[in-house]
Amino acid sequence: MRAIVFVLGLLVLSAGSYAQVPPGQPPGQAPTPKELPSYSIPFKLTNTQHIMVRAKLNGKGPFNLIVDTGAPALFISTETAKKCGVEIDKRGWANFDSFVLEGGVEVPKAKGRVEDLYQLKAMNGMGLPGVELHGVIGYNILAQFRIEYDLTKDRMVWTRLNYTPPPLLLQPGGKGGKDNTLEGLGGMMKMLGGMMGKKANLEARPRGFLGVELADTDRGVVVTNVLAQSPADQAGLRKGDRIVSVGGRECATVAEVFKRTNRRAEGEELQLQIERDGKEQELAIVLGKGL
Amino acid sequence: MWIRFSLVFAAALLGWSLQPATLWANDRAKAEPAPASEAKTVIVPFELIGSRHMVVEVKLNGKGPYRLIFDTGAPTMLINPRIAKDAGVTDSEIKGLFGAGEKTIKTFELGELKIDDLSTTVMDHPTVKAISQAFPRIDGIVGLTFFARYKMTIDYQKREIAFVENGYVPVNTMANMMKLMTVKQGPAPIVAAAGQWGMQVDKSSDDTEDGVNVVNVLPGSAAAVAGLRQGDRLLTIDGRWTDSVADVYQAAGAVPAGREATLTILRAGERLELKVQPKLGF
Repeated sequence: MRAIVFVLGLLVLSAGSYAQVPPGQPPGQAPTPKELPSYSIPFKLTNTQHIMVRAKLNGKGPFNLIVDTGAPALFISTETAKKCGVEIDKRGWANFDSFVLEGGVEVPKAKGRVEDLYQLKAMNGMGLPGVELHGVIGYNILAQFRIEYDLTKDRMVWTRLNYTPPPLLLQPGGKGGKDNTLEGLGGMMKMLGGMMGKKANLEARPRGFLGVELADTDRGVVVTNVLAQSPADQAGLRKGDRIVSVGGRECATVAEVFKRTNRRAEGEELQLQIERDGKEQELAIVLGKGL
Repeated sequence: MWIRFSLVFAAALLGWSLQPATLWANDRAKAEPAPASEAKTVIVPFELIGSRHMVVEVKLNGKGPYRLIFDTGAPTMLINPRIAKDAGVTDSEIKGLFGAGEKTIKTFELGELKIDDLSTTVMDHPTVKAISQAFPRIDGIVGLTFFARYKMTIDYQKREIAFVENGYVPVNTMANMMKLMTVKQGPAPIVAAAGQWGMQVDKSSDDTEDGVNVVNVLPGSAAAVAGLRQGDRLLTIDGRWTDSVADVYQAAGAVPAGREATLTILRAGERLELKVQPKLGF
């Protein structure tokens, strides 16, 4: 069961039950491809294997949203909706004055449902995705675009289509479409997450700053420049010095130096062994702030 | 269901070392990625049903076609017990922990696409059921463990999906979930720029406006050469928002040394674009 709540994915129904409704209209005519505006949208695969993009709603955010063809519409958590200062109608829907995706997509008059999806509640409660998830982007927005997904890249391509997608067929009404069987899981997982001391680790710490430019040469990793006022400068590192080892581990390439230093935060001390004029010496440098 | 559920948490609390990778070792993508030159585009039509879900027809172990919802928000595959039995997927049950219902589809076909040994959850999903009751029958979900193997373009207007193999190997979803739930949380992760910019940014906790403040630009650095100045408000790097200090490092992490990236800044109320070419270093 454990995984099921996530694995199920974000397949959701709009609130309200569906009466028998006719199927969607047939496909529209092909657009003229040249005129369609295209956007390069950064995305991230969460630890839970969901495709996440960032959006600003009514100028607030950024909020983390899952790209989800299994959802009929944009779904936004109640807390997020509150932050956006949006008005929620009697049926739980809200109209956003502005909806902008990181990378430039703008959706005018975006309509979203304000609801705490149990899947998001559960994942957030356990801190599983690695980021806090604020909602999902579903059909009513996705259908306005032709979207290219490629998990070997760090961006997806959204091309605005020149047509009006078939509308949502919503029937007003209570909880008809909700899956009550699973509904309780969100709160349950959140509670268990709390008991286990698990919560979203949302902070990210910047890597510390040294202030050296490096190059791979015949004699190994060589300092090609030291930025004035940088920690490297203050510790006496000089242009022409060869980096022998970092933290006691030999580094033959710049890539190896990066590997030994990429997880070192601001304020941490770096032990460097360098070679200058044929002599080796040790330097201890406290990493500063910056990039 | 609840018993299973609590068992898992017992496992998590006790920190059982489950080695899920070996438990579900057969879940790995076995299809060899086609070389780029041979990669061909396969077009698969989908039906847009009244609930506005995408429905595709698939064959499991040569049986079918079955109608499944195509769901980019689902990390894995899911089929109901009826078609699992019909297609003989049930026989492949891995009597795993807690009766997870994780099974293997020996051959999965979507249009001309064919994949061997695709793992799936077998379950009567209440939402799938609910959709099935209002619309023509639906028997499951196609998720990321399938589509991640392709560069995939979904076109709602043409009602089709284009697939080109991309060599991506999806992780085992069940094993991944188990790992996420049992692994202890460490300190906050560290984010690093991929190159050297020579600048420092900051933002106070009560500052909710777009961007971060540039508080220092080192003389002679890549940032200085680009014309960045102390006091500038940095809005984007390479098309990514920089609304927090961590955002800046994350965006800079995607710009390798030597590649030019565009910065959007606000200076004296004016929006400017600068080009920065980060150096090899840190």
